[in-house]
Amino acid sequence: MVIAQSAVLAAEFPPSVEDFYLPSILPWGAENNYWFTKITVLVWVAVAAIIVYFLASYRKPQLVPTKKQWLAESIYGFVRNNIAVDMIGPRGVAFAPYLTTLFMFILVNNFFGIVPFVQISPNSHIAFPAILAVISYVMFIYVGVRHHGFVKYFKHALIPPAPWFILPLLIPIEFFSNFLVRPFSLAVRLFANMFAGHMLLLVFTLGGFAMISANVALAPVSVLSWVLTIALTFLEFLVICLQAYVFTVLTASYVQGALADEH
Amino acid sequence: MTGQEPPLGKHGDNGPTPPDSGAGMTAVTYLIAGMLVWGGIGWLVDHYVGTKGVFAGIGAVLGIGLGVYLIVRRLGA
Repeated sequence: MVIAQSAVLAAEFPPSVEDFYLPSILPWGAENNYWFTKITVLVWVAVAAIIVYFLASYRKPQLVPTKKQWLAESIYGFVRNNIAVDMIGPRGVAFAPYLTTLFMFILVNNFFGIVPFVQISPNSHIAFPAILAVISYVMFIYVGVRHHGFVKYFKHALIPPAPWFILPLLIPIEFFSNFLVRPFSLAVRLFANMFAGHMLLLVFTLGGFAMISANVALAPVSVLSWVLTIALTFLEFLVICLQAYVFTVLTASYVQGALADEH
Repeated sequence: MTGQEPPLGKHGDNGPTPPDSGAGMTAVTYLIAGMLVWGGIGWLVDHYVGTKGVFAGIGAVLGIGLGVYLIVRRLGA
């Protein structure tokens, strides 16, 4: 049975993009229907878990916090003090709720990538990082326009302090780097890290099955491959936390840039 | 931790830009953006003029130079 199972698994080696498109749940087993899959379930689970956890921990706030309350406050305090206020300055407190929500949403969704038996992150589909990037993009432009006024904001963002004759050469670069690269790099950085992480774990797991079913003498190499899968899972944990942090910090940094006064 | 006041007064309301507000990322973005924008425009010029990459090369070098200049003006002291 083990051999048969491994043969089935080995048939799927090497893994491809198809492995990210999981079977439809509603309607059950429908072909090429991706409206409600494991990915959808995971996103809803993440949203529900975050909402329930924070509501439950802040329900009856104690002066001497319980463990649950302490953890929730630590998360919020970390994002507020170490990301929002550090990057944006005192005005950053106003952005702390959004940044905390963003941080938690990305962190929990990324974390599904290494939870045993779940092991795929919704963020390995570019749609989710893309929407998050669009939200941050619209927000920092809106914040800048509200703070400076429309004309002054774009003047500030597009026209660097330089002599007039060089400006035609510089403005395209400013436009490209401030308004085109930013949302794109936010989305792609998160998506690519999660996609590559899932792919890496798939290669090492399925590779083990492929080798053992090709030749039983390769069994030790297969075992090594699976041990490496576990090691890589810990590496993934690092990437997961780092990417959630980087996304939040860069969003805060863009807001800071939009609010900055001319100097 | 929420009970604590956030560390106010660290930068002051109109103080200097907070330290390390993504300056590294901005610098790298300017370099790559400079190269891509003017290299890309050069490539388009090549395409229409019929040359085989002279303008793309000139554009890329010019773009890198402009990127460095932008970093100095925007992020320099």
